Amino acid sequence: MSWCRMTGRVAWLVAVAVGLSADVGRAENWPGWRGPSRNGTSAETGVPVSWSTTKNVAWKTALPGSGISNPIVFADRVFVTASDGKNLANLHVMCLDRDGGGFRWHRRLWGTAPTRYHGSKSSMASPSPLTDGRHVWSFFGTGDVFCVNAATGNLVWHRSLADEYGTIENRFATSSSPLLYRDMVLLQVDHYGASYLVALDQKTGANRWKVDRPGRWLSWSSPQLIRGAAGGDEFIVCGSQRVESFHPATGKALWTVGDMRRECIPTPLFADGRLYVVSGPSGPSMKIRPGGRGDVTATHVEWKNSRGAPFVPSAILVGRRYYLVTDRGIATCLDAGNGKLVWQKRFGGGYTASPVAAADRIYWVNEAGVTLVIRGGGDRYEELSKNPIGESVFASPAISQGRFFLRTTRHLVCFRVVDE
Amino acid sequence: MMSVLRTGLLVAVLAADLACSSLQAADDIDVHLSAIARTGPGGRGSVAARAARERLSREGLDLLPQLLEAMNTKNIVAANWYRSVYEDITRRELAADPAAKFPVSFLKQYVSNPKHQGRVRRLVLDLIDRLEPGYSKSLIPGLIDDPEFRDEAVAVALVRGDNAKKAGQLKRAIAAYESAFRSARNPSQVSSAAGKLKSVDRQVSVVAHMGFVTDWFFLGPFDAPGTTGFDLVLPPEKQVATGVVLKDTYKGKGGGRIGWKRFQTPDPFGQTNLIQVIAPVKEAVGYAYTEINSPRNQTVQLRCGADDNITVWINGKQVLRRLQWLNGTRLDRFRVNVTLRKGNNRMLVKVCQGPQHKNPAVPNNWSLQLRLCDAAGGGVGVTNGLPPLARTGAVDLRRRIAIKESVR
Repeated sequence: MSWCRMTGRVAWLVAVAVGLSADVGRAENWPGWRGPSRNGTSAETGVPVSWSTTKNVAWKTALPGSGISNPIVFADRVFVTASDGKNLANLHVMCLDRDGGGFRWHRRLWGTAPTRYHGSKSSMASPSPLTDGRHVWSFFGTGDVFCVNAATGNLVWHRSLADEYGTIENRFATSSSPLLYRDMVLLQVDHYGASYLVALDQKTGANRWKVDRPGRWLSWSSPQLIRGAAGGDEFIVCGSQRVESFHPATGKALWTVGDMRRECIPTPLFADGRLYVVSGPSGPSMKIRPGGRGDVTATHVEWKNSRGAPFVPSAILVGRRYYLVTDRGIATCLDAGNGKLVWQKRFGGGYTASPVAAADRIYWVNEAGVTLVIRGGGDRYEELSKNPIGESVFASPAISQGRFFLRTTRHLVCFRVVDE
Repeated sequence: MMSVLRTGLLVAVLAADLACSSLQAADDIDVHLSAIARTGPGGRGSVAARAARERLSREGLDLLPQLLEAMNTKNIVAANWYRSVYEDITRRELAADPAAKFPVSFLKQYVSNPKHQGRVRRLVLDLIDRLEPGYSKSLIPGLIDDPEFRDEAVAVALVRGDNAKKAGQLKRAIAAYESAFRSARNPSQVSSAAGKLKSVDRQVSVVAHMGFVTDWFFLGPFDAPGTTGFDLVLPPEKQVATGVVLKDTYKGKGGGRIGWKRFQTPDPFGQTNLIQVIAPVKEAVGYAYTEINSPRNQTVQLRCGADDNITVWINGKQVLRRLQWLNGTRLDRFRVNVTLRKGNNRMLVKVCQGPQHKNPAVPNNWSLQLRLCDAAGGGVGVTNGLPPLARTGAVDLRRRIAIKESVR
């Protein structure tokens, strides 16, 4: 399918979603990791700012197994993945009703080979699924990629990358969430073994290209897509001491920036023509001007600051402010223009989930399940609310169609403004 | 008379037609099952599999025996297509009639057969549990040597031992712990069972049970600037075809003479810290040599891990070569089938030590762990082929080094 046709279909489906959700300000989907912009931000308004275990809870549904993949939302469906059973190799792809939280379908599948050496905090369902509204693609730590029909859950294709290219080995289970580019699904598979990038045909699962990455150590970072950069679209990956850019249609290497940590987890951000990357702990945040060829570290890094770098949570950009939270709950706000410190604050609690934002509100969920909402974009720290849910949370939330979706270790919860 | 004939003919035609239809349906099923069997790498066969799944999912419970036989495949892609058919049928039948006529006897036989794929047996056991709640609870304890359900059965035996111990029934506790230890292959269960046996004054050897090689001669450090060590061919490798000469000495890193030194690692999981045993250096190569006595000619699994990269030769033949820097030593990281001959077998191992990571906080470990076992991870009856330490006259490093902490 051509890019234009696919975009047209997606736009049509979005339009349908808008029509179905006339009661919300802007009916935006959350179709994959870090949402519609892949930056963690949503243009939605009317998203609840406060809730409790009873207030503003639209529904709460128990999920099988475990997973830190975030839920994704398209029109009136919510998709989520999980794993359970022996070695966590029993996989689940599920579709829930956006309004009622009931299961529309539930596809159970076998994983090929659980990530070797993964720790107890992780699950095989760490990478988030993604959808174009017609299909759902899911990548698991077992080295499997599945494409299922979004309406029925029926299998469309299955690739066992573990069988074909080796069992994935790392200590948290693979977490890199794939992205869609034209008619391809792009994956970053960096691990102790033979690391690689691969582009799969959306319809058939066949390889469109594959780039081996000798010497690249394990990484959990999800890739980013830059559209319309000076030299065309770019596929950005962070891993093993560098940021690298590839041509997303061919896998051809374009440029690199060094100075990253050996192990990268946060997802790079792209906004206003600039790329923001961070690797930690204690690694640098960098603002990079994309483009060029070869090593552009000396010429394309506009600022660099090592304050407050997290190991796990991704950063978020709201207005002219760049926000980070360390795994131990130290939040840092930098000026996105020059990288200088604006404020730093101890949030408290441990953080695995990445922050998300709706308009100028930033939502930070700690591991105890407390969501802190602050106003973003300004010069000062401004807390709006603190909302406990009473269950542990490691998955990043999703925002769509006026709703806030939070995956706890046991439930998927949908919050909606009903009690304000 | 004519009408009787006409009726008879009609019945015959209908019967033939029915038989043909049945045969055709059976053929259809075979064709669709085969279409799914042909799925594989690169998304191969997905289009045909989609059509096959759609057709097969319309079948009833009669398909289960044939479907489950097809599901007994190593092809994970095909297995998942079959599973989607299986789930569609069983879910529909259970929803329509919870007392539906599932072929329970067949399902039980299927689960009990250890030759069937474990994942399918587990799936079927879940179904039987829905049909006969509690069935797995009665089945599992008897599957202590089963390739799929071993861990659960060992866990049951350990709990049985704990309960007996609490009740003061020491003999029963010991019997349960011994049974658990004998069958355990999961390292944490092996360790747990050994610990519980120790608590009732029974000593067992985790090293022997898991087949760790713990008695070595070590040589090093040789100088290997940067990451050149992996490709350097140093004297022990030049001697590997005929056998390393343990009395020879060489010029080591820094210019001093180095020679082979004997060391028996006390680590219960057979790990040796080469920083302590050879030297706290970077950019170097070390070698380990041992002899393994096998009671028979046999093919076994060599499982090992090393930090950094590792090369292994058995009886002069290279059997494993892995280039991986800064990866840590992990249990059973690398696996390869190797052939041991009856009697003594020579084993040479090369482990490189790379440069310090640019972040000084990243530890520059140098270590080795290696075992010989069967496919399930159990010992294979090999013994140490090196002469007793006292008779070799070799330097016994164990007397010089106090290993204070495990490197694991």
